Amino acid sequence: MEDIHITGSKDCYIQPSVDFVESTGLCDISGESFMEETATFYTPLVEWVKEYSKTHDKIVFTCSLTYYNTSTSKWLLALLKELRAMEKRGGSVSVIWYYTPDDTDMNDDIMDYMVDTGLKIKLTPFEEV
Amino acid sequence: MEKIDDKYDFSLYEYHNLLQQNILVSYKGPIDERIMTVIGENIELVTDDGSDKAKNKIFKIFMELAQNVWLYSAESCKTASGRKLGMGTLVIGEFGDSYTFVTGNVVRNSDIEPVIEKCEIINSLDRDSLREYRREQRRLGGDKKNSGNIGLIQVALTAESPLDIELTPVSDDESFFSIAVKIKKTVL
Repeated sequence: MEDIHITGSKDCYIQPSVDFVESTGLCDISGESFMEETATFYTPLVEWVKEYSKTHDKIVFTCSLTYYNTSTSKWLLALLKELRAMEKRGGSVSVIWYYTPDDTDMNDDIMDYMVDTGLKIKLTPFEEV
Repeated sequence: MEKIDDKYDFSLYEYHNLLQQNILVSYKGPIDERIMTVIGENIELVTDDGSDKAKNKIFKIFMELAQNVWLYSAESCKTASGRKLGMGTLVIGEFGDSYTFVTGNVVRNSDIEPVIEKCEIINSLDRDSLREYRREQRRLGGDKKNSGNIGLIQVALTAESPLDIELTPVSDDESFFSIAVKIKKTVL
């Protein structure tokens, strides 16, 4: 399977940066996400995790999106569900989520993801700039 | 030089003065992600009195509501490449200790009824129930058709205030639909 490398863009199609690397199991998503067709963008990512989990037993997923719209949030849930499925099959799954400490809205959101998926998500504050 | 005897009946000065009263940002026209990015980033520059959190909330609410206009307005135009861009109006105002963000666009009457019902449900729920409602909608998956609904739940949660909706008929089939939300400047 091939790694996924997408460079985030703010020019005319607001998509996050994505690095899903098979050899290390490190999957990062960062930037902002509010493109029109979230399905077109996120379906390959969900499929990648599904494929990856068939032949690997370790993955580290890091989300450091500073903004994502609600349409994106559905796809993040789909990604997390795949990760949870991998964990249930005995895989080692780490999920790290960067957030702004005073952003209680995003904090609530991440808590809800934990409730919905049963995954443990490690909340990590963005470095103060 | 030709004499302007057919001067247009519109005073930009009066319009400007009208906007000067409490209006921080105002846009009318086609909406896409480029407009959203530019206005979204500039909101921070004009909301001086707001806490960082208030600025962040306005940004998020702006993104959701502007996207709804872009994707769901009944009034639209097409780019050279055939992309459909919804048209509408976005206004950010400052009233006392709050910012108010309003979006408006033309809607087909047949489409808007379920949206109004959704808004009424949203306004009747407390924070915990809203979160539960959002989780429920999120579980329905990434279908674009439902995205507007979860967007409205998100807006109410972020604003921590109800959705103030208004529907004004413009023809037999269409109405002008607006949503206003208040964000406290001092929210911490």
